[in-house]
Amino acid sequence: MMDMLAATEALARRLTDDVPVVASLGNPGLNLYNAQPGRARNFYFRNAMGAACSLALGLATARPGQRVVLLDGDGSLLMNLSSLASEGWRGPRNLVHVCWDNRMYEMTGKQPTATAGPADLAAMAEGAGFPHVARVETLAAFESAIERALAEEGPWFILALVTGERARRDPDGPKSPTAIRHRFQPELGG
Amino acid sequence: MDWPHTIVSVLKQYQVKHVNYLPDAMGERLLKLMREDPDFDLLPLAREEEGVGVVCGQSLGGKRGVLLCPTSGIGNSLNALASLPIPYRIPVPMIIGFRGDLGEFNSTQVMMGQALPDIFRAMRIPFYELKREDEVAVLTEGFLRICYATESPAALLITTQLAGWKE
Repeated sequence: MMDMLAATEALARRLTDDVPVVASLGNPGLNLYNAQPGRARNFYFRNAMGAACSLALGLATARPGQRVVLLDGDGSLLMNLSSLASEGWRGPRNLVHVCWDNRMYEMTGKQPTATAGPADLAAMAEGAGFPHVARVETLAAFESAIERALAEEGPWFILALVTGERARRDPDGPKSPTAIRHRFQPELGG
Repeated sequence: MDWPHTIVSVLKQYQVKHVNYLPDAMGERLLKLMREDPDFDLLPLAREEEGVGVVCGQSLGGKRGVLLCPTSGIGNSLNALASLPIPYRIPVPMIIGFRGDLGEFNSTQVMMGQALPDIFRAMRIPFYELKREDEVAVLTEGFLRICYATESPAALLITTQLAGWKE
């Protein structure tokens, strides 16, 4: 089991500036900000639970020549499981779908999600037609999976089993949706 | 031109490329033309709420997309609309096959259909109903213009008065 912040930092070290990163609400976005507070090409969800993966699919569809990284959570993905089928069907080669799985709704009081029970999101991604699926439990395994996903054709689904810590909420972190959007969008370039 | 050709031609004029959809009988009249047209890229979805996120992502990527779906699908999409494109200011044009109104044969469609205009009013989402062939061009163009001007969702409703009802 790895720490989500440490894994996010490991991912951040491997990203070039041009790669857009989309983070679902709660801990995925808080940790992305903590790992890389100054990075412009990070899109932070503040709500719309379940829609981050759809936004990443749209971005990957619009910019087929550019790698797109999505930082999702088990609760968010479970809310919009149909999107996994749509991603798998479309199969964008530039999409890297990382799902942090802490097996709980951590932000609302650590209530269990279905992945604390029998649900296996990696198996579901395989069933949805993702050609590359990795299930990683250690930081070293995550680093090796993300290096392949950033270098080789996808779509990739990386299920990363993480511990259930609450991410630090930086008081200077992103709050205004329009500020997030305006910061993110002009940077996309060609 | 009949209404499907008119809508398709206005969408092309506005460089709308990505058509993200859940099918219905009215939408199929458009999809049939779009499948044959290399200017469009069709993305089938499994739930309409996905389309709200997908159109936002395409917009952030500098491309124009639409969500094409029936009335019931907007019911599936409300929190996504309320908390993503509206507060972030992202244009999301929606073309909706308007079920649950004039001539509806299926009573389970009627509540959502009758509520939809009030839902759009409550969410301050501009919407326009296509009822006559001679209004299709101006309403389609006008709906896209306000959508891109406000950088927010807007809706175009294809009614049974225009398209005919299901038997």
